[in-house]
Amino acid sequence: MTDPAVANHLAQTMAAPLASTKMTVRDLHFYYNGFHALKGINMEVPEKKVTAIIGPSGCGKSTLLRIFNRIYAIYPKLEAKGEIVLDGENILDPGYSMNRLRSKVGMVFQKPVPFPMTIFENVAYGIRHHEKLSKPDMDGRVEQALRSAALWDEVKDKLKQNALGLSGGQQQRLCIARAIALRPEVLLLDEPTSALDPIATSRIEQLVEELKNEFTIVIVTHNMQQAARCSDLTAFMYMGELIEFDRTEKIFTKPGKKQTEDYITGRFG
Amino acid sequence: MSAIYLRRRVTNWIAIALSTLATLVGLVFLAWILWETLRQGISALNFKLFTSITANGEDGGLANAMVGSLIINFLGIAIATPIGVMAGTWLAEYANRTKLGETIRFLNDILLSAPSIVMGLFVYTIIVLPSTVLTHGSTTFSGFAGGVALALIALPVIVRTTDEMLRLVPSTLREAALSLGVPQWKLTMQILVRAARSGIITGVLLALARISGETAPLLFTAFGNNYMTLNPIDKMSSLPQIIYQYANDPGDTMHAMAWAGAFVVTMFVLLLSLGSRLIFSRNKVSHD
Repeated sequence: MTDPAVANHLAQTMAAPLASTKMTVRDLHFYYNGFHALKGINMEVPEKKVTAIIGPSGCGKSTLLRIFNRIYAIYPKLEAKGEIVLDGENILDPGYSMNRLRSKVGMVFQKPVPFPMTIFENVAYGIRHHEKLSKPDMDGRVEQALRSAALWDEVKDKLKQNALGLSGGQQQRLCIARAIALRPEVLLLDEPTSALDPIATSRIEQLVEELKNEFTIVIVTHNMQQAARCSDLTAFMYMGELIEFDRTEKIFTKPGKKQTEDYITGRFG
Repeated sequence: MSAIYLRRRVTNWIAIALSTLATLVGLVFLAWILWETLRQGISALNFKLFTSITANGEDGGLANAMVGSLIINFLGIAIATPIGVMAGTWLAEYANRTKLGETIRFLNDILLSAPSIVMGLFVYTIIVLPSTVLTHGSTTFSGFAGGVALALIALPVIVRTTDEMLRLVPSTLREAALSLGVPQWKLTMQILVRAARSGIITGVLLALARISGETAPLLFTAFGNNYMTLNPIDKMSSLPQIIYQYANDPGDTMHAMAWAGAFVVTMFVLLLSLGSRLIFSRNKVSHD
């Protein structure tokens, strides 16, 4: 009934006062061994909100996320062009300190990957690299991180046990604790629940809801219900392009583009 | 339908039967070796074997050879382990998928299959002969030279297992650590080596088992010594060398002692691997 362009504009004005922008992606291109994987992405990630990135397999959603903390750079022959501005500075600038970037932008991966050490050490390990803390301060920081990750009550009596003995869901929350222990500003979640059962998944989703009070969260998910449940904004990607980026409610009720509609109604992907 | 199922069941049955048979063949030989060495050496397996030295001949034991073996093996492992673990780490973490890394990996495999007598001759040329010149002909063969020869045999085994064990560590663990801002060297030393620790130690024990039975590289290096010595720059005896020597002796008593020595070496290696397995299974936690 309404002109889609108008509706889109209305939605954008509604979305505008959401929050200030934390991270701006400008004309971002990415190449794998010469293959053009991301084609001119532009998006603004709002502060202290959950931004979900959805799209079919191979659309480039994980690739995009892995540029946000430049973790892609550990592999040869990968190249990013364009700008990602975080708090006014371009993180793709070779002069931007990797140490600083990784302490500002934390990441949690698809599979839980605890380090082969105790539960306490898993959380303390990253902190120790960036800060020199006294024993009581460190204990406090570890406890705080485990509490924020909703894991404290389950592990407080076995902090000295090997983290590999935890269940998959607990391991993933430990990985979240490990990432937030550094007090990052942005938290990247790369399909954090795809290896977990429904109960563990819902715990992580609740956690995401709580964590957005403190962190700017970007979550990649192949689960559309998950994006609908726990994100404020949703980006739909297809074949290396950002097709649509808008408030989650709008993407799932009145998508502006035909491709988005086809995807969320399950016509492809 | 049922014809397919029947065929699959028969194939399955044949496969299980063949692999069970193969396992049994392997186990039979292991048991047979243990039994035969025990049977032939039982008459010499007594307290004296462990306390008396080879200078006493038929009335003696193998104490000096056992101590010599322990010292030479220890030297070999002590030299080869740090070099091997570091080289393996370099191959897996810094040179993986590079041309140089592939070349060195290939050369290491060649070293792995080099005949052990070549190692003995090599060490004879680079250590034994020059040391004769340095000391005006007085010192020649030594336990240390034997240790170096064994180290050269253990080295490629340790490089290979360290490299393989580290490459088995999932790349997500590397990404997780790097995403915390941890630098590569810390990641390698504190996380990856720890994750691959049991595999690396198994590699070292495998190398120790391999060198424990080596005879040829010691003939030109440690040479042998009928008296007890703890000095690594002295000529030194070792169990495999004494076994070789006694087996060539015409006397039955000497033969029995050679068999007893063989039994001791075999049991040493067996207990070593059983012991390490016990330690690891106690610390083992599920990775799933």
